[in-house]
Amino acid sequence: MMIGLSAEPLDLGAVAAAVRDSEHGGLATFLGCIRREEAIREVIAIDYQAYEELTQRELVAVAEEAAARFGATVAAVHRIGRVEVSEPSVAVAASAPHRAAAFAACRYVIDELKVRAPIWKRMVYADGATEWMDGRDRVPDERPA
Amino acid sequence: MPPEISVTVRLFASLREAAGADRLLLSVPRATPVGALWALLPDTVSAGSPPAALRYALNHEWTSPGAPLRDGDEVALVLPVSGG
Repeated sequence: MMIGLSAEPLDLGAVAAAVRDSEHGGLATFLGCIRREEAIREVIAIDYQAYEELTQRELVAVAEEAAARFGATVAAVHRIGRVEVSEPSVAVAASAPHRAAAFAACRYVIDELKVRAPIWKRMVYADGATEWMDGRDRVPDERPA
Repeated sequence: MPPEISVTVRLFASLREAAGADRLLLSVPRATPVGALWALLPDTVSAGSPPAALRYALNHEWTSPGAPLRDGDEVALVLPVSGG
């Protein structure tokens, strides 16, 4: 099972290959990539930090749920560390006997991962400021370069 | 038994940045509830009240704020995550 975190650039081909199955005729993939959000506040990168042990447990649980609900085999890898704009931060693949279940399982995994995996984002803005998106009111590190 | 126990507190995101460390070792009274740890953090780390959506993990499993701590426990303060 290819499930977990990676400090290296994601390889969607490898993630898809991990769910190949000779009985599965549908294979859906998803990549989540860094948005620039230029109209709001231009982002140049996001730095990801995870609570690794619990993230692993949650992702394995999500994969098992997807298997039970959709008869799918899934893989999911999320980046940690700095990811530049337009680069992928998360890759998901799901295979199933037919396409409807493959799409549904892929969607299920990315939606659950977003909510359940304890992975935090530190925004790196073009104006030099950085900001943890963790629900805390903050004053520090809002320091334009 | 000693009156105090040692627990490790795992820190993430802005808490880690404020502490300059990814974990703190705290001595607390036996059976202190997990939810009382925030108030025991150094002021430089906690700086105010916890976020409403703060969650806790005890030894890598989700737990409730009322769970009592034992010697050697590891608690993670899980700040809200913003998926997307």
